[in-house]
This record gives sequence, structure tokens and C-alpha cells, in this order.
Amino acid sequence: MNRLTKLGLIALIAATAVVTGCTKKPGHITPIPAGGLSNSGAPGGGDLGNGGPIRNGGPNGAKFGGATNPAPIDLTNGKGLGTGDPSALPTGDPRAGKDEDRETFKSNTVYFYFDKATFNSSESSKIPAVIEFLKSHPDNNLLIEGHCDERGTEEYNRALGERRALALRELVVGAGISGERVTTISYGEDRPADPGHDEAAWSKNRRGEFILLTPSKGGSLK
Amino acid sequence: MNLSLPTRLALVLATTVSLIHAADDSGVIRISERAQKTIPIALTGFSGESGQVLRFDLEVAGFDVVPVASAQYEVAGANNGNLQGTLTDTGNHHPLFARAYPGGTPRAQAHMLADDVVKAVTGQPGIARTRIAYKIDQGRTKEIYVSDYDGGNPFRATEDHSIAASPAWVPGKLKLFYTSYRSGNPDVYSHDLQTGTRTRVFGFNGLNSGAVVSPDGTHVAVILSKSGSPDLWVANVDGSGLRQLTHTLEPESSPCWSPDSRTLCFASTRDGRAALFTIPAAGGEMRKLPTGGILPATEPDWSPDGKWIAFSRAVGEFTIYVVPAAGGQAEPLTAGEDPSWAPNSRTIVFTRGRDGARRLSLLDVPTRRVKDVNRISGSSSQPSWAR
Repeated sequence: MNRLTKLGLIALIAATAVVTGCTKKPGHITPIPAGGLSNSGAPGGGDLGNGGPIRNGGPNGAKFGGATNPAPIDLTNGKGLGTGDPSALPTGDPRAGKDEDRETFKSNTVYFYFDKATFNSSESSKIPAVIEFLKSHPDNNLLIEGHCDERGTEEYNRALGERRALALRELVVGAGISGERVTTISYGEDRPADPGHDEAAWSKNRRGEFILLTPSKGGSLK
Repeated sequence: MNLSLPTRLALVLATTVSLIHAADDSGVIRISERAQKTIPIALTGFSGESGQVLRFDLEVAGFDVVPVASAQYEVAGANNGNLQGTLTDTGNHHPLFARAYPGGTPRAQAHMLADDVVKAVTGQPGIARTRIAYKIDQGRTKEIYVSDYDGGNPFRATEDHSIAASPAWVPGKLKLFYTSYRSGNPDVYSHDLQTGTRTRVFGFNGLNSGAVVSPDGTHVAVILSKSGSPDLWVANVDGSGLRQLTHTLEPESSPCWSPDSRTLCFASTRDGRAALFTIPAAGGEMRKLPTGGILPATEPDWSPDGKWIAFSRAVGEFTIYVVPAAGGQAEPLTAGEDPSWAPNSRTIVFTRGRDGARRLSLLDVPTRRVKDVNRISGSSSQPSWAR
């Protein structure tokens, strides 16, 4: 399977997890399966309905659960699933001529599992609102910040933070938002939300933040 | 004692297979003392800064400063404007050298004498006149500093009031590559410290970090996420001729070069937990470097003699390990992270302590002696040893 197809599938599976919005128990969902492209994973894939981990399955592996809450995301009409490269970052700068709005999506910050680019299903419900806003505001772009707690080494965390931001970006782009509108930045462990050294602080620090990019009012290009 | 350094390191590793690193109740990792013995040396006639500097240099180099009666060597000194030193083997009272060090600061004179002692006793060049670069965390801002290897003569290389990180020396030059967020994105810059000129080498959307120039000075390895995941890339040293080496979805980080500039070692979570991998710099398959199950493994650094790879393991406390460059059973060296080898392939500079209060230390691998680098300001990390 080539990379593009596989990434498309991953985005599909991941977005499906968002749609499913399982609330039965605090199970794991896995937006981006661990193991990378070299890991073919178990054939057949995962059952999304039980809240268990998604195995890196084939196209028929993921069961589509009933779309209840939050609002379903239309994947079939989305640009990006097999029709382009949903993974590559923009070649232009989505921040050019835009101001950063850190307030609009303040409550949509996604908190990740330790040392992973995955998060609990309860976090998934924060993402559709971001996608819907971008759909209804085509002149706005999106910057996704990835952050880590302090428990990894520094450059490892810089890469992990980027992976987290990219995992969220896959969901946004997979839902039909143009990849040219969405870019990422990782701060690794350099910008903790909480400066503490315990789990309470760490759980707040391993996060992905959505920064809305609005047309610049000052008119000055960045 | 005039064994070659590789022989010494091999001996040390052979005799420390039974190293114990059990965590006690406080979570501190203890490492057994079965390391190579220090060399007892006496310093007489030195005072003030030159005496302090000489003592520090020799302790880092594996010597133990003792009274003359129990010393194997004696350095007798005088300081009348110029530092003078005479090295004697106390066993046969045979003078090995007597030299004066005119010119330069007292620090520089003491470093020169220390290097001469190290060379005369061990046959290996000293490291007392080398430099390190590192990141200093000053709260919201993080800047790159350069200093002597012991923290002397600090110099602030960046003043971006942003985040600067991951400095790496260009081999043999007063020039750094590092990451700076000064333009709002983690971009890679090259910075000539003599002319002060700085050039942005990689400024793609997403992550541009971990850049390190090959020992032959022709290429640069870097982590870029432009293709959608943090992958390892290599380019000509000016950033042209960019090629993607890894194609994993999971992140790669912290590349380092083999001394022949043909192979890269880096960390990847391709198989789940972070592990070390190697890949030909010209392209090819990435291969896992066996570390005897010591995972997660990150931040590899290849010794300049090509024999060893030091790396960090992050489980609770961070621990520095060393493994043969071809892979094998990794051995713990000391508590800490982000090791960088000195040009002598014997000493390592590393980070220890917790975020916000980290400091740099020097590890003499054969004797396991650890000495702190003088702290400049703030929390220090990500050291790179000029070589």
C-alpha cells in the first residue's frame, strides 16, 4: 500500500473515531496508529465501537459506528481522501496576512496520552467545532500547536509535539479543509501550560492547541 | 597505564558488565564503582585561579588530586606573572617536562599546562582548550550560549528573545547550526561566530530542527516535517540538494553522524518505543541499532573515534548509556541526558537535573568521574562539544 493511500485510510479511521464519539467508557481511540508505515498491523483492523484501541487495519477493517454526537463529519465529499496528499504541509504560508486568534478555540485544546500522539475519545468531541468554523469561514486559516510534558528528551519532544499537531491536522484536512489552510508548529516541552513537575501539570502540558488565523486587520503582512 | 584509549574503554566496558543500576526509594539511579582507577597526582606551588583551573582540568581528565606522599605524579608550579610547571613521576623522580606559559590569561595558561600533563601521562591530547555550545532557559526565552568546556568565557550567541535550541558545531569551525523560533516557526540557522553572520538554512512549514553537519563538512542532516511527519532528511551544507531519508509516520529525532560521514544514527518511534536506528547518508534502509533492550533510547552521539554511541534513556530519571557503534549490550554511565562526546572520545558533556533547574556536567567515561560545568545563568541543556 502506498503512503498516500495509507495516510488517507489513517485519516479516515481517525476521523471515524471522532464521528463515533464513543462514551460508553473512557476507552482509547487512536487517531494515528502507532507503529508507522512499516508496521502492517493486524489484518482486519479495529472495532471502533467498543472504545478499545484501533488496530492498524485495512480499508474494510474499521467499523463505522453510529453517528450520534457530535455532528458527523462528511468524509466522502472531503477533499484529501485519496484525491491529494493530505499529509504534506502547505508550500505557502497560511499565516501570511493573518492575525493569530488564540481565544476562539481556547476550550477546544486536545489533551494527549503520555508519550503518544493519541488521545481519549472524550477529547475527540472538541474537534468538529473547529472544522465547522473553518468551513463557514473560508478566509480563515488554522495553526495547530503541539506540546509535550517534560518527561521526554528535548528534541524527541519537539518531534513528538509536531506529530501531535500533525495528527490533529490529519483530522481537519481529512474532513475536507484544504491542507493549504492548515499548518503546524511544535514547541516540544518549551512552552508548558503548567510549570509544575507532577502528573497534574504534565496532563495539562501534553496538548494540541488550535490557533485561528484571521485576515489581518492591520493590513501588514507577517 | 599507557594503554591506548580504545583499549581503555574496552577494558572499562569489559569490567563493568555487572554494573548495577537499581533505583532506590528516592528514585536515584546508583551505578557501581567498578570503573577504572583515577591517577593520583599532587599539585604543589599553585594558587588562585590557575590552581583551581588546573585542578578542575585534571580531575575531569581522570586524575585524583592527592598529597605528594600518595601521588604517582607531581606537578610543581610557580606563578610569577607567567605560569610555570614541572611534571615529575614520583616513583623514579624522573622529570617528564618543565615548561613556562607566557601570554594569555591565567585561565588559558592553566588549561595549557593541564593539557601538557594529560598528554605526557596518558599519551592522548587534552580537552582543556575546547569549547561547548548549549541552550540556556531564561524563562519564556531560551538562547544559545558558547563557552570554554568548563563554563569559562561565556558568550551569548543568540539574542532572539524567542526559543533557540539544539545547537551543533560545524566541525573544525567557529560556526553553529541551531533552531530558532525567531520568525514564529522552528527554523534552522547557520551562524558564523567570527563574522556574526547568520543564514536561515531550513524554513519550511512545520518542524525544522536537529540539524547537524557531517564531520567532512559537506552535508547537513536535519529533521523536517514538511512531508507530513517528522522525518530525517539530508542536504548539502547550504541546504540545497535536499533528500528525504526516512518515510515513517512516527517521528525521528536527534541525528548524529559517523566519523566517516557515511552513516547517520538517530532516534525513531517507528516500532513503538523510541529506539536507535542507523541509515546510510546516501539513502537506504533504516536499521535498528541493538541496545540490549535498553529503551526508550534517544539523543545518540557517535564518538569521534567511531567506536561508541552514547545515548539517553528516559524512564523516570534520565540515564546516559553507551553502546558499541555496531550495537550490543548498552551500559549505563551516569544519571543525565543529551550526551555529547569531546574530541578525545573519552569525555562526555551532558545535562542533568530537572526542567527549569538543569545544569551541564562533564563525565570522564573510564573513571566515571562527574564534574559540573560552571553555570552561567538559568537552566542549561542541549550541550554540543566543538570537535
